[in-house]
Amino acid sequence: MNYFNKILVVIGLMLSNYAVADVAVIVNLENGDTIDANLIKKIYLGKAKVFPNGTKVKVYTLSSNQEDTKYFRQKALKKSNSQFKSYWSKLAFTGKGTPATKLDTAADIISAIKKDPKAIGFVNVKDVSSDVKVVKNY
Amino acid sequence: MKCISFIKYATAASCLMSVASQAEINFSGFTSVNAGKVLSGTGVEHYNVPPTFLADYPIVSAYNEEWAMTPESLFGIQITADLNDGLTAIAQLVGRGAEDYSPEFEWAYLSYDINEHWTVQAGRKRLPLFYYSDFYDVGYAYVWMRAPADNYTWQIFNYNGINLMYNTDVGEWSLAANMYVGKEDDKENKLLGNFFFGDQTREIWKDMLGGVVNLSKDWFESRFTYMQYTNQRYVGGEKTMWGGLDSRKGKFFGAAFNMDFDDWFILSEINRLDLEFDGNLDTNMLTLGYRFSAYTPYVAYSSMKQKGDDVMDGENHNTTSIGLRWDFHDSAAFKVQYDKVKDNSHDFAVAGDSKSISFGIDLVF
Repeated sequence: MNYFNKILVVIGLMLSNYAVADVAVIVNLENGDTIDANLIKKIYLGKAKVFPNGTKVKVYTLSSNQEDTKYFRQKALKKSNSQFKSYWSKLAFTGKGTPATKLDTAADIISAIKKDPKAIGFVNVKDVSSDVKVVKNY
Repeated sequence: MKCISFIKYATAASCLMSVASQAEINFSGFTSVNAGKVLSGTGVEHYNVPPTFLADYPIVSAYNEEWAMTPESLFGIQITADLNDGLTAIAQLVGRGAEDYSPEFEWAYLSYDINEHWTVQAGRKRLPLFYYSDFYDVGYAYVWMRAPADNYTWQIFNYNGINLMYNTDVGEWSLAANMYVGKEDDKENKLLGNFFFGDQTREIWKDMLGGVVNLSKDWFESRFTYMQYTNQRYVGGEKTMWGGLDSRKGKFFGAAFNMDFDDWFILSEINRLDLEFDGNLDTNMLTLGYRFSAYTPYVAYSSMKQKGDDVMDGENHNTTSIGLRWDFHDSAAFKVQYDKVKDNSHDFAVAGDSKSISFGIDLVF
């Protein structure tokens, strides 16, 4: 019984962890481009500045201390928070790139993307609404 | 006539004002608070140099046998004014402990995105000679306490000019290239004046023309660079002559290769400055690092060797370093590094042999 409980707790923890971590990359409903993992990585690393259709990308992010941000950077960009910041400080302080605009909540990200066909962002899958289009899940 | 020019000015001023009211202004910055000392060193007796570790040539960050915090500590602020439609104005003010924290504009330029591939910039920028040149001040952006001192021995590190940048994708690869022209006239060059000649030195690099090509993919990055310039120099107000002429030509060639295998990484750089009457100044650097959780231990070797027909016993020194970076906070890193310097030249001895320790905190905001 004791063992069974422990196993349940462990499974529960794993599931909850999983649920917290899953992140969706989202764009405006009007955006008809194919956006794959490679392009997402390039966009968030400042290497791609436009969507395939040629429009300039407006990049949004949640703040660094949020679990979804850490998870996204690790999964999609293969970088820890400090590696990501270190990488971006090199670009930002040498005029080679502009870091993503930081918003506090998933709701802020969704409302910014809903208004802007050029925008891209990420939120936890549980925060996704029909106002935006999911291009990739991590 | 006067009326027309007044209208012109008024229109220009109102344009500026309306632009100013639209600008989104952002502040960001970086800080390093470092301390260090020489554990043991020979100094250079024939030049009256006591045991010294020259941690940073251009700024002359020199440690001696007493603990010091000023040589490498610095505070930098960047102001970015985004005027929309691809136009930005950027300035970076840096106050250095080595210069009593009096702030200087290291960068002040305009940047305009012509389209998704091309950007043009004009103003004062950091000269992008070596791989780490243009983010040299941002300690948080690299693993060591400082970019390897033997390599970064440039006297001139800014330029005033125009820079054209190009970015594109080639399949899996990303290509970033830029070309620049410019000039720098440093009335009181610190490295040459304070350290080498002991007299006020005016160092001029003009007709600078350079280019950088950076090719990268996931785990691999390569960077190639070339720059040529005309050098003029006044030591104690007196024009320096080289072979009967008051100027000489310099050519800089460099290549850097970085590899990142998740936990392990390799950083390398190889450069040559071909400077008339000073021969070739060759600099090399190799670093091996390993990441585990928030810790990154590393070992590094760097060297500088001067060779040439006119050079009998040129500058010749190398540094072996071992260190640790600890990312104890999201935006801050603690670093500690041990450096062993070998100075092999007699006539062109810089600071002699030394063993030193330095540590500090780098952060970005």
